[in-house]
Amino acid sequence: MDKMMFLLSEGLKNLWRHKLTAFTAVFSIFLTLTVAGSLIVVSDNTGKIIDYLRDKYKIEVFFKQNTSNERIKEIVKEFQSIRGVRSTTVITKSDAKKIFKSQFGENILDIVGFNPLPASCVINLVKEKKDKLNLRPIIDRLRKFSEVDEVNYQGRLINRIENSYQAFVKVSIILLIIILIISILIISNTVRLTIYAKKDLIKSFQLVGATRAFVKTPFILEGIFHGLIGAVFASVLLLVSLEFSSNFIFTITGVKIDYSFLNLFFILSSLGIVISFLGSNRAISQFLK
Amino acid sequence: MIQLDNVSYSYEKGGGVSNVNLTIQKDEYAFLIGPTGSGKTTLLRLAYMDLFPKVGRVVVNKYDSSKIKPKKIPYFRRNIGMVFQDYHLLDDRNLFDNIALPLHVMGFQKDEIIDRVKESLEEIGLDSKSNHYPNELSGGEQQRACVARALVKEPDIILADEPTGNLDPVTSFELIKLLEEINREGTSILMASHNYNLIKGRGHRIIEIQNGVVRKS
Repeated sequence: MDKMMFLLSEGLKNLWRHKLTAFTAVFSIFLTLTVAGSLIVVSDNTGKIIDYLRDKYKIEVFFKQNTSNERIKEIVKEFQSIRGVRSTTVITKSDAKKIFKSQFGENILDIVGFNPLPASCVINLVKEKKDKLNLRPIIDRLRKFSEVDEVNYQGRLINRIENSYQAFVKVSIILLIIILIISILIISNTVRLTIYAKKDLIKSFQLVGATRAFVKTPFILEGIFHGLIGAVFASVLLLVSLEFSSNFIFTITGVKIDYSFLNLFFILSSLGIVISFLGSNRAISQFLK
Repeated sequence: MIQLDNVSYSYEKGGGVSNVNLTIQKDEYAFLIGPTGSGKTTLLRLAYMDLFPKVGRVVVNKYDSSKIKPKKIPYFRRNIGMVFQDYHLLDDRNLFDNIALPLHVMGFQKDEIIDRVKESLEEIGLDSKSNHYPNELSGGEQQRACVARALVKEPDIILADEPTGNLDPVTSFELIKLLEEINREGTSILMASHNYNLIKGRGHRIIEIQNGVVRKS
């Protein structure tokens, strides 16, 4: 316990002893996490918009004129078992007649003498799907029913939205990985400068019988503190920017940026700790080889 | 206690030691004497396994250089105290913390660290300067602090590499006497020096090394 306290206090004191390194490392982590945090908020909100749009996706299936209501019920039951289908709403010929009257104010029977409106079914799709929504298999299955006359859906629009979203997610992930790797390398090189400056300290530790882990721990803890401080600064900057821009964007577009500060802080702190741990561990391990 | 069997070591740029056979017994106080570049430091570095012989083997406290695993070296060094000409004190902490360092490394409890460090500081006569930083101490005080740091972990052996190299003659004699007191309490000491006048006539064994070869022991 006393040993752990000693290592912890060494890590904390090192922050003060290596002020210039600490500043460089914290600033680098701060920049990385600010970009990463912005990407996370943008990506999260884009995901929510996509969910909203997916909620609006629907497929309309029109049945052939001679299909009985009983048969339609059976077919719709089968529709519900298709993967990706969330709910169905059946519109019988009689319902269609009512809808016509409510929309046009006239009875279709009075106009054409019979009811030409087909029975149909509106299919709503699964909402909470993280991967790309692929409509093709659903459409193909619907068309296999001989009673189905026509299937209407916003295929091109849905595909364009889904493809754009997938591309955006991919680019975000690649960008995030590149930023994190660059940050790890910057931190590693910054910490390496401290290590070279402190090689006498390391030698002294080794000469009095310190194990490799004992020598490494204060430098790694120092790195973790850099990560945490960088995360706090990045979180505060994002909080202020988001509060300001959220109101601004809402005034212009009516869309509110949705985010949880606690979640964001937790993610950024974790990222900060991981990248600074990897960076400082890499530097000290290479030195002790 | 320390045994070197046919030990040879050479640096890429030349120098080192050649075919050294040497034994330092328990409780012995031995001087290693020779001119600068004769191989004294190399021999001490071999003894605390900072270097490993290219030929032969070094056995210290049952740790054999030809068999020891790298992860065991820290534990081996915990029974050896080292004193250097340039002190190797850490400038960023005071005297107390410098001397306490080996005890933190060895995992001692806080209370015991305080007791042991105080005891060591009293033994070297620097108990009033425990809060001073190395740059606030004279050369002699820094070297005594170095001895205290070696002594605090109660080692079996102290290896001293030219500990009087930066000290005036009076302070040098005081340091030799301090090491003699430590030796009387049961710690073996191997001290390298190039100053024959300092060590002659003290009744201790003198090992003479020249050009990496032990001439007289």
